[in-house]
Amino acid sequence: MRPVRLVICVLWWLPMAYAQNMIYWPDPSWRAPEVAAARPNPLVQRLNAAAGGRKLFLRNCIECHNKEGSGIAKKHSADLLLPVVQQQSDGELFWKITNGNTGRGMPSFSKLPELERWQLVLFIRTLKPSS
Amino acid sequence: MQLSCNYMSVKWHAVLLLGTLFVACGHAQESPFFVTYNHHMQEPGSLEIETSTTADVPRAGQRSYFAPWTELEYGVTAQWTAELYLDGQSTWNDSTIFTGWRLENRFRPFRREHRVNPVFYLEYENINEADRIQKEMEGGAPDVSSPNTVLRRLIDRELETKFILSSDVHDWNLAGNLIVAKNFSQHEGVEFGYALGFSRPLATLASGENCRLCRESFSAGVELYGGLGSALGFGFHDTAHYAAPVIAWAVSDNSTLRFSPGIGLTHQSSPVLFRFGYSYEIQGFGSKLARLFGGKQ
Repeated sequence: MRPVRLVICVLWWLPMAYAQNMIYWPDPSWRAPEVAAARPNPLVQRLNAAAGGRKLFLRNCIECHNKEGSGIAKKHSADLLLPVVQQQSDGELFWKITNGNTGRGMPSFSKLPELERWQLVLFIRTLKPSS
Repeated sequence: MQLSCNYMSVKWHAVLLLGTLFVACGHAQESPFFVTYNHHMQEPGSLEIETSTTADVPRAGQRSYFAPWTELEYGVTAQWTAELYLDGQSTWNDSTIFTGWRLENRFRPFRREHRVNPVFYLEYENINEADRIQKEMEGGAPDVSSPNTVLRRLIDRELETKFILSSDVHDWNLAGNLIVAKNFSQHEGVEFGYALGFSRPLATLASGENCRLCRESFSAGVELYGGLGSALGFGFHDTAHYAAPVIAWAVSDNSTLRFSPGIGLTHQSSPVLFRFGYSYEIQGFGSKLARLFGGKQ
């Protein structure tokens, strides 16, 4: 690759890399019990429920995870677009939203009704990296 | 001179009322409870500013009052919430006074959600006997008959602890608080009180629209609270108890209005105790403040 193209590539990707929390690495001790991880999303057939999940996401999550869900490096918050997050089961994501990881700043959202937490999981599944 | 005092009193009533209304025109799915605490903590770095008022329907021979208070609640960490209260009180045909401040801390010992979640609460109060916000009830009933000039001279420096147990069951929140308080300024012994509450959102599925008057914006419940006497005389004798329906309405993404008419259950209670409150949450307040002073977060 020519140096000019390399510089353009770096300059193009650098802001995106900065905006996303690419350095996010999950806490290995923060894992859902098997029974919780195996729970299916009861709203999986109701894809329109993801719209409500988006609303809840904007209300409760963007302070740390950004509007795009890409996380904020300074807050060490998860980049929800990364495969390491998206490969987790619905039940695991639900468990993490419910319990939080208080030692690393992620609060518990058990104050939200159970179905609303499942809506958040549905919405997280719709997150795609912006081109 | 009398005219001047009355003018001052009316002016202070107006200032307190306007202050309450002003802030009230300022989200969050907040608990509808006024008295009962549950295990849901303030999000770390968020500041909630709340203004609430307690007003009563007096018994014959008593003067009506309203007691506003302002509450600043900050999420220090995901397991530690700190609050500062500033209390006031205004009695009809008497005076309007500042009645003191309180500093409280709540600690959640467990990191994960459990079937029953304990929270420890520690509060220091520097108030006077004219304080009538009745945010918690311990010992006997408050004195609502004596004039403010007498009551404000009686200072209460009190250490109060609460043991909070709370549980989320099928979208219902059930919470119970046991209160133990020691007033270091007077020889009252250790005083006890309780609060019990259950609440539920009116809808459990969020719509895709930003509706404000739909059921998902409301939650409702019931609180029961009262005093349990002191170590010198434990029990229900000469204590005030209330049963209070509560309702909360998330008027915007950051603000919540709450209302509760408490029904007095004993002769020591007021017949009805009205409470209304408004809270506004500033998410990420800690990092915004730090940036203001040149910090990175």
